[in-house]
Amino acid sequence: MEILLIGLLMISGLTLGMLGSYLFHVPRVVGYILAGIMFAPDFLGGALGVETTEWTRPIVAVTLGVIAYLIGGAATISQLRQLGWTIASATLGKVTGSFVAVLIGFSLLDVAVADVPAWTLALLLAAIATTTAPAAIVAIIHQYRARGPLTTALLGMVALDDVLALVIFSLVLAAIDSSSFTTAIPAIIWEIFAAIGFGVAGGYVIERSARYLPEQELKLAVLLGGIILLTGLAEAWDFSPLLAAMALGFSVRLFAGSHSEPLFRPLEQLQEVVFILFFTLAGLHFSLTVVLSHAGLIVLYFLLRAGGQVVGAMLGARLAGAPRVISHNVGLVMLPQGGVAIGMALMLTSVPHLEDSALLIVNIVTATTLLTETFGAVATHFGLARAGELGQAAEASEKKEIT
Amino acid sequence: MKISEWLKTYPANALTAAGECSLEDAARMLLDDPEGRDLFVLDAEGRVCGHLGFWHVATLLLAELRPTHSLRQLIERITIGSVADHMDDQVMCVGIDEDIEDLLYQHDLFQQHVERRVEDIPVVDEQHRLLGVIRLSDLLRDAINNAANKAEHTD
Repeated sequence: MEILLIGLLMISGLTLGMLGSYLFHVPRVVGYILAGIMFAPDFLGGALGVETTEWTRPIVAVTLGVIAYLIGGAATISQLRQLGWTIASATLGKVTGSFVAVLIGFSLLDVAVADVPAWTLALLLAAIATTTAPAAIVAIIHQYRARGPLTTALLGMVALDDVLALVIFSLVLAAIDSSSFTTAIPAIIWEIFAAIGFGVAGGYVIERSARYLPEQELKLAVLLGGIILLTGLAEAWDFSPLLAAMALGFSVRLFAGSHSEPLFRPLEQLQEVVFILFFTLAGLHFSLTVVLSHAGLIVLYFLLRAGGQVVGAMLGARLAGAPRVISHNVGLVMLPQGGVAIGMALMLTSVPHLEDSALLIVNIVTATTLLTETFGAVATHFGLARAGELGQAAEASEKKEIT
Repeated sequence: MKISEWLKTYPANALTAAGECSLEDAARMLLDDPEGRDLFVLDAEGRVCGHLGFWHVATLLLAELRPTHSLRQLIERITIGSVADHMDDQVMCVGIDEDIEDLLYQHDLFQQHVERRVEDIPVVDEQHRLLGVIRLSDLLRDAINNAANKAEHTD
C-alpha cells in the first residue's frame, strides 16, 4: 500500500500544485502540502490501510542525502573566493541571526515537549530556521527581471546559506544525541571528521569511476548508489549522513574540476521530485490539532526567524562595508523557507527519543513554510522594489538598444 | 578513408582560444563564424586542453533568462569567470592517421555528441596540437550521400 500511496502523493501533489499556481497564483508547495494532508493516516491514508508514517524514513534519509550532495557541490573553492566578503559576511550574519533569535526566544519561553527538554526543542528549531528556499526567491527575481547589487548578493547568499544550515543541523543532531557535555564533544568530533573523511574518499572513488562510464544513465546509477551507500554507512557507524553527503558533493566537484557538470546535472533534474516528496510527506504528518494547539509557537517561530535574519544579515553586510541598499534589504528578501527545512524536520522523525517533538517540529515548519512561501514572496518583492532593482534587467536591455 | 584525407575533402575552420579569454570574447568568436559551434582551448604550447560549446556559452551569459536555477547555476551566474573556468577538460581527440570508420565506431562518438553537445571532433598530432576538426554536419552529409549512392547501385 505504501507504494500506491507514494504514487498518489506525487501525482496529486503535482496536480494540486500546478492548479493552485495557475488558478490562484499561490506557490506550488501549498498544493504539495495539501495533497499530503489529504492522504494523512487520519484521512484518506487510513482508508488505504496506511496507519503510520514510519515507512517514509528511508525515503527521507536518501532524498535528503541527494539534496546535501547538491548543496555540497554548489560552489568550487575559486568561486567561493570570487563571491567576495560582502556575500560571505552577510550570509554568516543572516544564519547566525536566525539561529540565535530562535534559540534564545524558545529557550526563554521554556517550551518542553513530553520527550525532550526545552533547550533541545529550541536548538532543533534554531538549526532549521537557518535555511532558505532559493527556488521561491529566484522565481521572483526572474518574474520581475531584477538586477543590481542586492540581486547579486541575494543569489550568492541563497546558494551558500543552506551549506551552513546543514552543518549547524548536523552538529545540533550530534549534540542532542549525547547524554552530557563530556560525551557530546567526542561525538561531535567523530560525526564531523568521519563524515568528511568518508565523504571525501567516496567523492574520489565516484569521480574516478565516472571516467569509465560514458553514458549519463550509468553516471546517475553510480551517484545514487554512492549517496545511498554513504547514508547507510553513516547510519551504521554513527556519523552525520548530511555532512558526509555534502563532503561527497564538494569533493566530486573538486576532483572533477571543470568536468563536473555530468556528475551533478542528473541529480539536479531529480530535485523537484525530491521536494514534491518532502512537501507531501510533511503533509502526511500534518495534524490540525497540533497546529491549533501550538499556533502561538508557530507565529513566534516565524517572527523570531524573520527578525533574527533581518538584523543578522544587516549587521553582517555592514561589517563587510556593503552599501546601504544591500544591508537594509538583504535579510528581508530571504524570508522564504522551503524544502531543506521540511527535509530536516522530517529527518527528526527517525531520531530515537524525538517522536513527539519531531511531530511538533514538522508541523511548525510546515505551517511556517506555508506562511513564508506566501508572505516571504511579498517581502522579497518589497525588498527588491525598495532597492530599486525590479525591472532593471529590462531597462538595461532598452538602454543598450538606444545606444 | 583516413582522417588526413577527410580533412582535405571536408575542410573546416577550427575555432581556438586561450584559457584566460573572457566568455564574452568567446561568444563573439563563435558568433562571427556562422558554422562554428565549438571552441577549443589551447595551452601555451598549442595543445588542446579544453572545449567550450556554443550552447554552454549561451546558457552562462543568458543565465538571467532562466526561471529556475540549481544551486550550482546560481553561483555560476554571479561568478562568471574566464573560458578556463567553464571549459570541459576531457576532450575526445582523434589522431591524423586513424581511419574515419574506426573513429565512428570506436570512440562512442555519437554518445559524446548527444551528451556533451559537441559538433566538432578535434584532430591532433602526436604532441596533441590541433590540426583541424571533423564536423558533425559533414559526417551526416557523408552518411546521407553514401546511403543514396548505395541505393542507386542496388536499383
